[in-house]
Amino acid sequence: MNLTVDLQTIASGQGDAGLPHGSELVAFAEAIAGYDEHRLTQARRDLVCATSHAFMIDAAAVAANFEMMTRVADGTGAKFETKAHEARTALGHQLGISERLQV
Amino acid sequence: MVISSDADSTIRHELRAAHNASLHHIANPGPSYDAATRVEIAQVASAAYLTTNPLAPWASPSSRPELTVAYRLARHANTITQGWVNALELTSAQLTEIVGVVISVIPVVAFARAVGITLPELPRPAPGGPTGEFAPEVGHARLNWFPVAAPADQRAAVLQALSALPSEDTNLWRLAAAQYMSDVQMADPLFTRGTLSRAQMELVAGRLSKLRECFY
Repeated sequence: MNLTVDLQTIASGQGDAGLPHGSELVAFAEAIAGYDEHRLTQARRDLVCATSHAFMIDAAAVAANFEMMTRVADGTGAKFETKAHEARTALGHQLGISERLQV
Repeated sequence: MVISSDADSTIRHELRAAHNASLHHIANPGPSYDAATRVEIAQVASAAYLTTNPLAPWASPSSRPELTVAYRLARHANTITQGWVNALELTSAQLTEIVGVVISVIPVVAFARAVGITLPELPRPAPGGPTGEFAPEVGHARLNWFPVAAPADQRAAVLQALSALPSEDTNLWRLAAAQYMSDVQMADPLFTRGTLSRAQMELVAGRLSKLRECFY
């Protein structure tokens, strides 16, 4: 079982992150975050074809969870402890978001 | 009434149950708001999330501050600042409850849209005034804008974010357990329900969070 995720795929949306069905999952997540219903329908179909209906539903549930958690964080001003800053800076560089990170 | 009858039979029972419970949670009185106001907040949030022609982040959809917060959190969450929040004529308890209501409806709507089932309807508001139910003791948080259940800052910011309001906190973590995984399951890097691997779950979570520009 592959337990690693290529962070560049998270940052760029390109590739499959080295995971089975990674490109279909990224396309599905991007379509959920977007507002093009045709694109969402196609991404859903592609994921079901590559995997199963149950797989697509669980992927949608994870995406829904992070539509929730991102708003919990942004809506309450969630911050990390200062001691976590160093590790987050390194991760931020990999994701191309280091300039947006707050201590 | 809540999740449409054409919902696919492959939706897990606990996921369907958590989403139904979340919608009913909205339609019951909360600590500071009655059920009718909570349903209004959820309706504004749902519409803001779904519209293809959104207002600009700085525009207010209503003269009522609770609806303005609902709209911006649902559609432009990454633009919210502490200064903007502080300038609103709302208490910390009200703001925390608005976040709780918005995050009770957004994942249910997002999931329904994502899987292609009929969008959920909110139940009719239950009667009764605000419950006044808060955590027995709250404390100032360094890691969040609003007070949290005491002792503050002993847990990660997102874990304590809604803890001042036990009913909102309970609903949040019931949703998270059904949609993603429980805190116990989170400790297992091999956790799977037999569909996505943990790594595949994190890929979806990471890409979605990046697109929403949530840098927590």
